[in-house]
Amino acid sequence: MSEVSKDRVRAGIGTSEVASATEAGQLAATAALAGVADEPPALVLVYGSVRYHLPDLLAGVREVTGEVPLVGASTSGHFHNGRLTEPGSGVAVLVLSAGPYRFGVGSVAGLRDDPLGAGRALARAARRAAGPDAGPHAAMVLFADGLAECQQDLLTGVYKVAGAAVPVVGGAAGDDRWLRRTSVFHDDLVLTGGAAAVWISSPWPLPVAVGHGWQPVGLPLLVTDADGPVVHEIDGRPALEAIRDYLPGLDPDQEPGRLRAAGLVLHPTHAFGLIEPDGSQLIRSAYVDEGGRLRTLAPLPTYAPVQIVSSEPEAMLAAVAPTVAHAIAGRDPSVVLAFSCVSRLDLLFDRSGQEAALLHEAAGGAATFGFYTYGEFARTTSVAGYHNATLAALAL
Amino acid sequence: MKKGDPSGKGGGGARRSRAGSGSQDDLALAIAATRDAYRDTTRLIRLLSVLGQPAGPEQLVDQTLTVLSEVFFTEIVAVAHQAGARLLVTSWCGLAEDDPVIREGWPIGGAAVEALGSGEVVTRAGCLDGELPASAVPLGIRSGAWVPLSTQPGSDNLMILLRRSAAVFTLSDQHVLRSVAARLRLATEERERTIVIEQLARDGHLLARHLELDPLLDEAVAMLRQLTGADQAWVVTFDSDQAQLRAHRGLSEQDRADWPRPAGELDGWRPAAMADSATEDASVLRVPVWHDGALAAILFSARARRRPFARGAAELTTVFANHLAAAMVNAELYRTLRHRATQDPLTGLANRVLVGQHLDRALDPPGAARVGVLFCDLDRFKAVNDLLGHEAGDELLQQVAQRLRGSVRPGDLLARFGGDEFVVVLDAVRDLAEVADVGRRVGQALDGPFLLRGERVRVTVSVGGVLGVPGQTTASAMLRDADAAMYAAKERGLGLVEVFDEAASHRALDRLDLRSELAHALDRGQLEVYYQPIEALDTGQVVAFEALLRWHHPRHGTVPPEVFIPLAEDTGAMVPIGDWVLDQACRQLAAWRALCSGGDRARAAAGGDGQLAISVNLSATQLRTTRAADRLLAGIRGAGVQPADVWLEVTESSYLSADVSICADALSAAGVHFALDDFGTAYSSLSYLQRFPIEVLKIDPSFVAGMTRRERDRGIVRAILAIAQSLDLTAVGEGIETERQRVALRVLGCQLGQGHLMSPAVPAAEATRYLRASMATPPVPAG
Repeated sequence: MSEVSKDRVRAGIGTSEVASATEAGQLAATAALAGVADEPPALVLVYGSVRYHLPDLLAGVREVTGEVPLVGASTSGHFHNGRLTEPGSGVAVLVLSAGPYRFGVGSVAGLRDDPLGAGRALARAARRAAGPDAGPHAAMVLFADGLAECQQDLLTGVYKVAGAAVPVVGGAAGDDRWLRRTSVFHDDLVLTGGAAAVWISSPWPLPVAVGHGWQPVGLPLLVTDADGPVVHEIDGRPALEAIRDYLPGLDPDQEPGRLRAAGLVLHPTHAFGLIEPDGSQLIRSAYVDEGGRLRTLAPLPTYAPVQIVSSEPEAMLAAVAPTVAHAIAGRDPSVVLAFSCVSRLDLLFDRSGQEAALLHEAAGGAATFGFYTYGEFARTTSVAGYHNATLAALAL
Repeated sequence: MKKGDPSGKGGGGARRSRAGSGSQDDLALAIAATRDAYRDTTRLIRLLSVLGQPAGPEQLVDQTLTVLSEVFFTEIVAVAHQAGARLLVTSWCGLAEDDPVIREGWPIGGAAVEALGSGEVVTRAGCLDGELPASAVPLGIRSGAWVPLSTQPGSDNLMILLRRSAAVFTLSDQHVLRSVAARLRLATEERERTIVIEQLARDGHLLARHLELDPLLDEAVAMLRQLTGADQAWVVTFDSDQAQLRAHRGLSEQDRADWPRPAGELDGWRPAAMADSATEDASVLRVPVWHDGALAAILFSARARRRPFARGAAELTTVFANHLAAAMVNAELYRTLRHRATQDPLTGLANRVLVGQHLDRALDPPGAARVGVLFCDLDRFKAVNDLLGHEAGDELLQQVAQRLRGSVRPGDLLARFGGDEFVVVLDAVRDLAEVADVGRRVGQALDGPFLLRGERVRVTVSVGGVLGVPGQTTASAMLRDADAAMYAAKERGLGLVEVFDEAASHRALDRLDLRSELAHALDRGQLEVYYQPIEALDTGQVVAFEALLRWHHPRHGTVPPEVFIPLAEDTGAMVPIGDWVLDQACRQLAAWRALCSGGDRARAAAGGDGQLAISVNLSATQLRTTRAADRLLAGIRGAGVQPADVWLEVTESSYLSADVSICADALSAAGVHFALDDFGTAYSSLSYLQRFPIEVLKIDPSFVAGMTRRERDRGIVRAILAIAQSLDLTAVGEGIETERQRVALRVLGCQLGQGHLMSPAVPAAEATRYLRASMATPPVPAG
């Protein structure tokens, strides 16, 4: 048993949808802890709905897990072992034993003020917490405030400290599609405008996989005027006018997006694909705000080459299995950590539960644990690694 | 591993999904071509956009590397500098911050050598292990580009891009990279330059606030190091052929040990061979600071070789050097002004301010060497001024200063203290004897005559010296004691040196107290007029009284007039005191007049109207004041007596200048009689008797005392009496203490006399009693 525990991490998952935050935390944590049996818990991941008073939720979890390092995020729904927990429903807790890994957790506040500095500080804190004499390989799991609009800069800060050898996976926190207030968790802290991370030292490389199922439609375009998340001009023309030809219709009332509840109109079937040097696309979800301006969930740089991309449920679901396979990379993992975008959930619409199911199926016998985000971290090559409407995964 | 959709990424996937139609294939190809073109174009635009954003130099490089990583899909992008056989990174994106490579660098590979040697972009694909830092090897790097920052062959900075993708950097990529590298270098230099200019504009003028050179140079090197981002900065000035290290930052003790050194050793900076612009090399920046066309200093700024100075740093440092030159001019101006504030403009010597400062410094550290002070006062300087005018007086002071310069030791401070007073501060003296030696040398320096406006003038100097022990005395105490010693010297005679030990200083202190207290003696009622009768030697009848001033000091008792009268003349107190004495004496005379009426023969013989007269000593300073005659006559009349009732006694030693003569003539015309006191002791120039309206000659007591013992004295008295007789003057024998003297004088023909034999000087009441007694006794012709 002890030999096995050195080679494999043990994973226990628990969930709860009871109304009481404390009780929900306790119940989910208790079930999760039972899953690692007699192995000492080394890391706790918590994904919770903002329906809960989050400090109470964490307190409930910590009553069970004690001082075991904890990180996590508020979500817009989460999934485990093939089952979807709809946005606004409950909490999911993953407890991991260390196995061959060493975990270090850290957090930072002030993300909007200095995202680069926050990224540096976060990487240093998490790496330090993992302790000296770490393994030859490492990866980072990153959680960030989902509404901060500076995720790539955060990632760049992390990259400057950790370097190219450390892939990053993770997600931007959600709030059940309300777009009001998202949080990340670190031990018993609930941080808004902050980020939290796990540094994982490993005896072998930990590949981060990413896939989406989006296809480009039409010609490449040039963003000629953008200001943060607002795209003013494309190809020298007003942005909406420039992309109108590629969209099925801009009548907000005819769009199926569920973010209507927040007064926003999203186009889940279409997005921007930021053309990467290797020809692939970094997906940037877009919507028209109340002022009639075209906005992206993550900023498009001015003079970025983009293409309109579109997808449909089938293509989206087809991207799941290869992504998981890439993450597993021929190993026999205990758990697959996945991060999928809430806009995928919207696009899948009445097939929303199928992504979680396919993911679990592709993971073979491994547990699967993930949440629906406001943006995914998957940094594998170069400094860039923040996505929208994408699936990212890491297998332990 | 590839980013994107593993099932069919990008345009390739689109092309495959729409395969089957030739036109669709063409469309897909066109789209792919457009996409590639956009990608290539926009990556340059994005890079240029970053380079154009406002940011500091380090931030600019950092941001550019970040975008390079993004648009070229690199694992590692870095700016590195060749240091010998290694490459050292100065900026990076993709190396972990604790990677030892950042500190130590890595062995330079063939690609980097080729790029630096040729000034061209070098690309490699495949196995690159020989080119990589150790930490990059596990990343599976398959492609790289080495881009020199300068197109000049032989530069040593380059940008390195390393990526996992085996795709070689295309020609288009290389064009972009070459362009970015050049712009990155220019932008960095420009940013550094802007920052330095801003800092110069903001802080450069701050240098000018320093009024002393040392703090100025110290701040200058601190600022220079910051401006140039240097590890070390220092400034060198030249003292004849020696180069002095004046201020520094970041230099080791060993570095500093080499200074000073001959100026010629400064490679390329021999003053005679200097170019008028800055030069720079890879690690040391040298910039001259020019002042009035001469080399005032050289600024040095050094960086470790892995961080060479940006191009143009020398130019900026030259601007900084100009700021420094201006500040140095400012400091020099201040030094000049300060010199003027501490310099006597007439003689060019130090003034009393500098004497105080110098002494304060010399006496400050307890245990330091002892300090001597000589206080020198020219004798009879007023006479030169009066006789030849103030301009001649100034000229004399200049000539004296010049001679004194030659008499003091090198390092001694010679100062004009004020008026005709000079002070010498002697640093590091052994004892009082050494002070006295220098004092004598000072005195001897004035031995020869001075030529003033064609006249040969001799002056002497009275010198007082003291010795001070640091920690035990102060500058003001030493100057006060030396002044007192000088007065003591002057009292002993002209041209003498007196040194005071501590006890003498204490005694002198008392004298100095008297000087200051004399000013208040009158107000405080401490002065009293005594009277000594002057009698007809034949009948014993009182013909006059001499008014003699006494000072009753609360601590010192009765201060003798020979002590305080010179003090009064020195301090200017003589005029009010003299006027007061005249007033008192005249009023007393009026009172006695009322007491006794009628004249007698003896008084008639005295040249008056036969009535009792009063004789009052008059200082020359009283006669020198404006409208002195009017004032004195008004005083006499105001007291109720006539000018003819008054004898004013003057001395020969009072210099009888022209203005005094005019005043005396006016008084004489009004009826005032003049008596010449102490006749025979000074020049006894008969011409004075001719020029001055003298009616009475008073024979000095020393002759009277000796005339009964020494024939010589007797002869002198006889001669004086003969002069008096021939000029029709009345003679008064002073200091008659014995009957023999009285008889002897009478025998020789002296009509009047005074002395203790008859009565000492006594208070008015006693004098009155004496007068009454005299009147009660009928005049008896003495035998």
